[in-house]
Amino acid sequence: MPGTEHESGALAIRRLEAEQQELKEGIGRIREQLDKNRRELAADTEMLKEINMELERQKMMAGLVAVTGPGVQVTLDDSNIQSVPATADPSAYLIHEYDLRDVVNLLWMAGSEAIAVNDERIVATTSIYCVGSTVMVNDTRLSPPYLIQAVGNSVAQEDILSNPAYLKEIKRKAELHGVQFKVDRVKKLTLPAYKGGFPIHYAQLGD
Amino acid sequence: MRSHSTQWSLTILCFVLGLLLMAQFRTQWMTSRTLLTTSSAEQLAIISSLVENNARLREEMEALEKQLSEYQQATGRAVLGPLVEELNKVKIINGLVEVSGPGVEVSIDGPIGVLDVQDLINELRNVGVEALTINGERLTLYSVVTSTEDGAITVNATQLSRPYILQAIGQPETMETALLRRGGLIATLERNYEGLAVSVVKREKMVLPLYKGAIEFVYASPIE
Repeated sequence: MPGTEHESGALAIRRLEAEQQELKEGIGRIREQLDKNRRELAADTEMLKEINMELERQKMMAGLVAVTGPGVQVTLDDSNIQSVPATADPSAYLIHEYDLRDVVNLLWMAGSEAIAVNDERIVATTSIYCVGSTVMVNDTRLSPPYLIQAVGNSVAQEDILSNPAYLKEIKRKAELHGVQFKVDRVKKLTLPAYKGGFPIHYAQLGD
Repeated sequence: MRSHSTQWSLTILCFVLGLLLMAQFRTQWMTSRTLLTTSSAEQLAIISSLVENNARLREEMEALEKQLSEYQQATGRAVLGPLVEELNKVKIINGLVEVSGPGVEVSIDGPIGVLDVQDLINELRNVGVEALTINGERLTLYSVVTSTEDGAITVNATQLSRPYILQAIGQPETMETALLRRGGLIATLERNYEGLAVSVVKREKMVLPLYKGAIEFVYASPIE
């Protein structure tokens, strides 16, 4: 692997990530400004006020609003075992993107109302995928440890996560290979709003 | 600026695909992050994904700026137009209105599991699906895809029967290519389930129903 090329690749990634961060912050700011303007304008008549309230409710459902509430925090991390036996499957010592996906799906099943992974809010268009061994959520690179925060009924959430019928592979990896899987109840979580776009170019309203 | 970055990302994408093909002959994929640092091919794939994402974020930024200037110029009832437009878009995202558009229809007949269906949904979301149904059940952010004790798949608490038919509105070619690529999800399913009957067909227009359930917040409150 040629060193300089590799370094310039890493540099390009950092530069692009800085730009991504800046764009997301810009989008967050302009959305706040829009919310403010809209609310002021819509205050004029009852009808507009009602439509705006409906819009705010829909935006909350879409994950476009930062939320707070009780719930659980799930911590997942690669094994800290230093030397993996030569005969062992190294992937059994890692947290994979499908592990995160399984936990997120279970949390929805437990009736969670909002979920974020390492501060990336999960929305309708979110995919959790990997590039090689790097996990990407909302096209943002995440690195371990992975913190999955979910607002909801923490008893139901904890029950489902500890149910032996689910997450068998993660639990086995935790038991045998030192992978970290931890669930904590939290009284007050704060989840950020989604700061990406929702490109709609093909779907049209109605038939 | 947009077409320029799209071109760049396409060039990088082709290069990455070439590298990936080469790498397939040379190395086994599962390597430990703790033992190896990120490979060059991986770096390039990350770069290409970031370039594409930043282009989309810029697009969103421009759309928001346009919206903001519309609101700033609007007075009284003129606000209604942009307000309703915004409301309709977010309702499409939430799956709470009927929508129509082009896309792909995927039909799968075989004993696939709930994790396979979840992977399919994830794959389609990864390539920009805008609206999705499985056997007529509209998928929302909160939709639960699970299975009963005897293995039947349920979506939105409705039990589905085979074949599973996914209707996905979005760029038809992109979705078709992603699903059918070598070593892709459909190929993996066909390898894992012998005799699986799968078809992926592009459609010019499909009409997808809305999600009829209610989404209520009991625990989460908005932060102003």
